[in-house]
Amino acid sequence: MPTLLLSSLMVLLAGAALCVGLRDNRVSAGVALSTQALASALTLASILPLLRGAPAFEQALPWPPPIERVVFRVDGLSAFFLSWSLPMTLLGTAYAAGYLKPYFDRGRHGGPHFALLNLTSVAFVLIYTVQNALVFLLGWEIAAVAAWLLVIWDYKSQKIRFAGFNYLVSTHVGLFVLVAAFMLLHSRTGSMDFHAFGELLSHPSSLRATVFVLLGVSFALKSAFFPFHTWLPRAHSAAPAHVSALMSGVIHKAGLFGFLRFVLLMGRPEEWMGWSVLGFGALSACFGVLSTATQRDLKRLLGYSSTENVGIVAIGFGVGLLGWSWNVPTLVLCGFAGGLLHILNHAFFKCLLFYGAGCVYRATHTVDLERLGGLAKRLPYTATLFLVGALSICALPPLNGFVSELLIYSGLLGSTAPSSQDNLVLIATAATLAFVGAASALSMARAFGVAFLGSPREPSLQVGEEAPAWMLGPMFLHALAVVVIGVAPQLGMRLVRPVLLLLPVGPSADAALAPLAAVLSANRALAAALLLAGVIAFARGRHARRSATWGCGYTAASPRMQYTAASFSAQFARLFEPLLPVLRRERLPDELFAQQSGHLASHHVDAVERRIFEVLGRGEELVVQASERISEQPRFTFAAGFAVLLLIGVLLVESAAR
Amino acid sequence: MSLAVALNLAVLVVLPFVLTGVINRVKSLWSGRKGPPIFQLAYDVRRLLRKTSVYSSTTTPIFRLAPLALFVCSLASALISPLAGVPPLLSFSFDFVWLAYLWGLGRMALLLAALDTGSSFEGMGAAREATFATLLEPALFLVSGSLCAFTRSHSLHAAFALHPHDGASLLAWAAALVALFIVVQVEAARMPVDDPTTHLELTMIHEVMVLDHSGVELAAIQVASAVKLLVGTSLISSLLNPWSQQAPLLAAAASVGGSLLIAVVVGTVESLIARLKMRAVPQYIVVALGSGVLALLATAWSSGGVP
Repeated sequence: MPTLLLSSLMVLLAGAALCVGLRDNRVSAGVALSTQALASALTLASILPLLRGAPAFEQALPWPPPIERVVFRVDGLSAFFLSWSLPMTLLGTAYAAGYLKPYFDRGRHGGPHFALLNLTSVAFVLIYTVQNALVFLLGWEIAAVAAWLLVIWDYKSQKIRFAGFNYLVSTHVGLFVLVAAFMLLHSRTGSMDFHAFGELLSHPSSLRATVFVLLGVSFALKSAFFPFHTWLPRAHSAAPAHVSALMSGVIHKAGLFGFLRFVLLMGRPEEWMGWSVLGFGALSACFGVLSTATQRDLKRLLGYSSTENVGIVAIGFGVGLLGWSWNVPTLVLCGFAGGLLHILNHAFFKCLLFYGAGCVYRATHTVDLERLGGLAKRLPYTATLFLVGALSICALPPLNGFVSELLIYSGLLGSTAPSSQDNLVLIATAATLAFVGAASALSMARAFGVAFLGSPREPSLQVGEEAPAWMLGPMFLHALAVVVIGVAPQLGMRLVRPVLLLLPVGPSADAALAPLAAVLSANRALAAALLLAGVIAFARGRHARRSATWGCGYTAASPRMQYTAASFSAQFARLFEPLLPVLRRERLPDELFAQQSGHLASHHVDAVERRIFEVLGRGEELVVQASERISEQPRFTFAAGFAVLLLIGVLLVESAAR
Repeated sequence: MSLAVALNLAVLVVLPFVLTGVINRVKSLWSGRKGPPIFQLAYDVRRLLRKTSVYSSTTTPIFRLAPLALFVCSLASALISPLAGVPPLLSFSFDFVWLAYLWGLGRMALLLAALDTGSSFEGMGAAREATFATLLEPALFLVSGSLCAFTRSHSLHAAFALHPHDGASLLAWAAALVALFIVVQVEAARMPVDDPTTHLELTMIHEVMVLDHSGVELAAIQVASAVKLLVGTSLISSLLNPWSQQAPLLAAAASVGGSLLIAVVVGTVESLIARLKMRAVPQYIVVALGSGVLALLATAWSSGGVP
């Protein structure tokens, strides 16, 4: 079995070399596709026994010094990540062949791009299987640099080069933190082997806590958790659609993989680890969804929604870690099963949505929501497939997003925590997740509604033709998976199960999921009813009377008067104003009969990035301002005095209690 | 067919129309009019079903599908709700999560249909509906989560049968009632949040979203809203019902009476209070959120956790 896996590496590398060498774009696309298909088949063949319940297997290989011996080990966790990463990269490559065709027609050489896509798959095989920290870093770096080069496909634009550079710097900051963690571990164990790390990490110590925090920060940067997400919206809006899709859906899941790998090495976690992952995830989910609701660039919007979704995954993992530290198998099962399934689901629907955005870009050459509208009539297939992805990312039944969130909810609301205070926090987290769901429904209704429904907002915008089969095919497969996992989640659970078996879920890995079976069959009934409704609606449309939209008595309505993306989210943005800063450029007419025309532009900027630039740009000035304000305003002195008094009071009560 | 199933079905078929009729009758009585018949909604629906639908030429098939999807979602949510004080037609673990997301799906369908017409008024209604939902959903989860923690159960039927037995549960019970009442007011588009009878589109939320629907689609939306109202009132009345453990007929009578009573209260509130300014509506919904938090805090004093 390991031979199959290693030969897939060779196949991918050979394909990459060929792609660079060949001059004809069509041939290199063919080479990339066929080598990736072969590599996917080889990896799937090698992990298939594991998915059926066979034990993990490993193979040691000699490697040049200083590593000398490297162990490739495929366990349930590797199997889960490998099972979809390579096939999805293959689909992304197929999409790229269609998406990049206009560039190829203009004489652009696409060989290196396809080679980089192959290298991304190589990085997956390395990261997901090696047991040596140096080789792990090698794979990590291959993925990062390949992603950077993929992002700057349109390198002639300065904006895109900046976005790429921004990504490169951020990902390397994460790399330094990761290296720091590995060096700490190496200094104690004298080895770079994960097995040795695991022995050291299995006992609670201050070293373990430090390593946990360092690894957490590094992996959070990779997966774009709040507040480490600042590179993400830029990179996603700059990259070609399939690169955004693969980065968001597949490549950056490596951060979550790394986290799980070390959790498994570490064994039973401490309670604070669970709480911090849970809190971190809830923060990311909230911040991500708030930003999603206000973006006007469709791809930036989808980028922020990645921050939201990894946050949801982290909530699941947090629940699982807490359950592990409390010895509650049900919580471990619900949390980790929900989180892992959500990783898979997110990969399916996020790639689908980014591909949809790519079809929109190809047809209109813009992804600015305010300029789009009425695309559903021009791009019916794209619109339908995008809608499936949009409904599923809002976790609406009967699609796949609902299943994974339901698993997480069942952990949060199951009242299985040891104390009622812990339960209280878990229920509050469930309410947060509900908020995230509703806000994500708002932002997806906005994104889909403004871009695809209504009438075209800008009549001068040329809308090209529907995307070719090379692009629609991969989208269709993703949409199919979204629906299938929604109505038959056991198919997704089959991939997740090998990971669960590595966790202390008790003897009843499947029995604990039994209570959810009823919801899932209810989902199936719902899907059937909706299908019936769809058939009726379709049949009714054929001989119907048509008329203009009711303009409430106003007869000169024009497409420019439609509700815009900005107006759709205006009330929501006002509710959460402190978290959603707005840059306004305005010159409003001030006199009754204005002589000059005024203008107003508002633009939502990233709260974190703005703060970073503010501090970097005028940090000293800010400190001086703040210190001046404190001495000027008595309420700050009053507050400080009150805080000191409170502290003294608490200390007194504490000592009295003792 | 068992008695419980028969009772549930009977309530599901009759009560949605009666509830809407009762609210309207109460409103007319307060304003000194005689008012429409109790079953006016049923006559309206029958009339609408015979009419031909007119679709805006801007719209896509989403516009035709959305009302039917909303209808399916409302009906499905009614199947899992304790409509008649007896066990519902379907009951399973975490059905309240399903209920919240079913309403979410129905809402999403309506939002998309509204945006599909390309009308600025309907877009405005959709934006408001979506914004208020972001505050309403957490409130619903806080309430159901707290009730689950008190009753040690995971289903609507069991959780909403909480009977206060000590201070903490009394607090949670009362807070849940307040939050649910606001949820019903918002979801059913009632004063002081929304005015279903206004003639000024600028001030509307729910009604403005359905301006373009006609015929069968409009009938589906109206019935779906009425069923949603029934689900909301039945949840409140199941909290209030003192005889829920008694004989099915007594429990059902009490539950239906409770639902009607809530309809009377809704109608009275609507007659006595003016609609809130649109800016103040989120604050009103935050009251529901606050009550939810209160219910949640009360669980800290319950003896929850693993036995």
